Amino acid sequence: MLFPTATFAIFFVVVLPLSWLLMPRGERWRPFIIAASYVFYSAWDWRFVFLLAFSTVWNQLFARAIYARTNVAQRKLLLALAVAGDVALLGYFKYYDFFVSSTHNVFTLVGLDVPLSIRSIVLPVGISFFTFMAISYVVDTYRGDWQPVSFGKFAAYLSFFPHLVAGPIVRPGELLPQFETPRDPRYVDTARAFFLIGTGLFKKVVIANYLASAIVDPVFGAPNQHSSLETLVGIYGYAVQIYADFSGYTDMAIGFALLLGFRFPQNFDSPYAAVSIQDFWRRWHMTLSRWLRDYVYIPLGGNRGSRLFTYRNLMLTMLIGGLWHGAGWTFVAWGAIHGSALVAERWWRDRPGYVERPLTGLRRAWHRFLTFQIVCFAWIFFRADSFADARDVIVRLFTAWGQASPLVTGGALLAIAVGIGSQYLPPRFPLMVMARFSRLPVPAQAVVLSFGLLLANAMGPEGVAPFIYFRF
Amino acid sequence: MEPTARPHRRRRPEERTAEGGRRLHSAGSAFVVALVALVLGAVLNAPGIHKSAAGQPQGWKRDLALRLSGPLANVSHALLLDEPRRGLKAALGRSGDDVIDTAVAVPPTSDVKPQTPVSVPPRRTRFSPSHPLRLWTVGDSLVIVPGESLLRAVAGNRAIDASSKVDGRIATGLERPDVFNWFTDVRNKMRSKDRPGAVVAMFGGNDDHDFMTGLPPGEEIGPFGSPSWTAEYRRRVRTIMDLVTRNGAYLVWIGLPISDDAGQTARFDTINSIVQKEAARRPGRVSYLDTYFYFAGDDGGYAEYIPDSAGRLVKMRADDGVHFERPAGDLIAQGVLHRLGQRFDLTSWRLSAGR
Repeated sequence: MLFPTATFAIFFVVVLPLSWLLMPRGERWRPFIIAASYVFYSAWDWRFVFLLAFSTVWNQLFARAIYARTNVAQRKLLLALAVAGDVALLGYFKYYDFFVSSTHNVFTLVGLDVPLSIRSIVLPVGISFFTFMAISYVVDTYRGDWQPVSFGKFAAYLSFFPHLVAGPIVRPGELLPQFETPRDPRYVDTARAFFLIGTGLFKKVVIANYLASAIVDPVFGAPNQHSSLETLVGIYGYAVQIYADFSGYTDMAIGFALLLGFRFPQNFDSPYAAVSIQDFWRRWHMTLSRWLRDYVYIPLGGNRGSRLFTYRNLMLTMLIGGLWHGAGWTFVAWGAIHGSALVAERWWRDRPGYVERPLTGLRRAWHRFLTFQIVCFAWIFFRADSFADARDVIVRLFTAWGQASPLVTGGALLAIAVGIGSQYLPPRFPLMVMARFSRLPVPAQAVVLSFGLLLANAMGPEGVAPFIYFRF
Repeated sequence: MEPTARPHRRRRPEERTAEGGRRLHSAGSAFVVALVALVLGAVLNAPGIHKSAAGQPQGWKRDLALRLSGPLANVSHALLLDEPRRGLKAALGRSGDDVIDTAVAVPPTSDVKPQTPVSVPPRRTRFSPSHPLRLWTVGDSLVIVPGESLLRAVAGNRAIDASSKVDGRIATGLERPDVFNWFTDVRNKMRSKDRPGAVVAMFGGNDDHDFMTGLPPGEEIGPFGSPSWTAEYRRRVRTIMDLVTRNGAYLVWIGLPISDDAGQTARFDTINSIVQKEAARRPGRVSYLDTYFYFAGDDGGYAEYIPDSAGRLVKMRADDGVHFERPAGDLIAQGVLHRLGQRFDLTSWRLSAGR
């Protein structure tokens, strides 16, 4: 079930009042919300609800077993088993064919014919997201940050439909305490919820879908057909498309959760206004960045060692982050570019005598510009189907100036300008809009929203394109 | 005197605000706002909703959606509430978006250009950078990847003027002109001033169903593959072929591939056989490119990965078991280029250019 569809609208209009009616009785609300979330998930493929259920049972059993033991070795062993199970599940569904074909090709390269069978496994939607959330739960239990909750609460946490298929990756400590006490139906942050849903819808349906069909797909589909200008605008277009697509989805997810009375963590904070790659990762897919920091980078040793050790950890974390996005070497390359940039920044700051100076004026603008160019360069590998395509895009960027550029239209440039420009709005602007909206009478709020629906539906292309992050 | 007791009144909850001074509302008002906005939004967008309802797959959901969206569109129109949408679409230059056009535009006789007699093989027409062959790639979502491969493959050949975009549209086909009317689209393209000299088409990926719209008045069809279904689908294939070839263009029609669903592969075979027969009736003007064995594995069945000439496993098919990955597109593009090369001389200009 996709958020911007009539099916989801009907689903949510039924779930919203029932959820609030059942809210005061947790033992009734939990089965209801679990059932609703499973219905939501089964809309793609009902068979995969068993996978979600298995992940729930597996992690709850291990979390309880870890919590019940005091012996450190036993706890470590149980944690290792739990995480290995999660990683194996993810590995099987997401990476099996990739690793088998890569292994086969390495053997072929050295003249060995090793029979390895491809399974043509279908990737279950959202598996990367709920697996990471499940790992958080088990690891936090092991660390003593958290004690296991009842099976029902954990199942509700893992399957809660607003975050289920594309995040944000919500930590146990952020959501489970909210399940402990009924939400107060008298005080719901409806203005923020509707603002996020409305802007998310516009970002996804109008900006992302338009840019995809107008310039991004043609440029990346046949890079050697396009002028340098088209290629450049295509790359910037993709940067805006993926931001609008993914942040649009998570904005909607946060908004729907808010309407149900629950707060999710922020997932994007104007990432293209970042002044460094480190800053970018504090603003882009923030819940994944935190997850990678707390469950990969720090366990690897973080910065508790020599400089080289820290650089290695940074690089490994970003390579894993790249692979998490997709079973392909281009994603690994994307992670490597970000990892290298982070290492370079770290090395620059680690130089003897380096003094951090506040960024102001032109220096700030220059840092933002440079960071955006590095991010866009990395997006080439993220979007390209192969290294050959990425190479063609890069070569084309420099070798076809002066050619006709029919794809560079006013509409494409406007969509890119809106996508990037919106990230430079002062933070008080959305707060002011939300405050004004919240002061409107209820019928006026409905009228404003209905005109928002009109804009999104009329301006967006026909049909609903799938969200980019669903396949991750 | 004691004050008279007032009847008990429910106290309104005290106002609370969040960051930025925005007022918090009750869950009840959230529900009312959401519901009213959805209903009003549906009325404002009624023409688009009605078209989306009509474009759904056959079944009770479509029937229900049409029963609801039809009256909704009427009410919206009567109250002029569809005007903002109409105005917005017009401002965007997309006035035709909400029109449900199911006409199967069979080319009238007046459209017909003198045809090459079937018995005489057509001359291999020569093209050059000063007189390039205009190429148009068109079809459902299956054509997108091979179309992009074709664009890449011809990028260096200045004798071919390929459009910078593949005209591939998701969830469309020849069965459902109400979803997207390819007959009108192809006719308009073939009448335009940038009329192509060669068309590469791939249709049928969404046509393996019983239901068709745009039937001639009074006509009904049986289930998929029945004689009446086959006759109607043949008429549509013929229409596309005639719209292209009677305007002087050469058509390469890419056949549907083997899929991971045996039932679907059998249905694709039915469609392929219709296309193949119609193509055979138009030698020199239509060429059918069979893709079945491009993607069959060692056992002749579906294979997602296929070894290349160096023995490396290459992912050919997307995870859905139907669509193509890039290497598959490249393979098909080579086949298409071979067919184009048989019909057109696209390379000899290099010899004269080199002299």
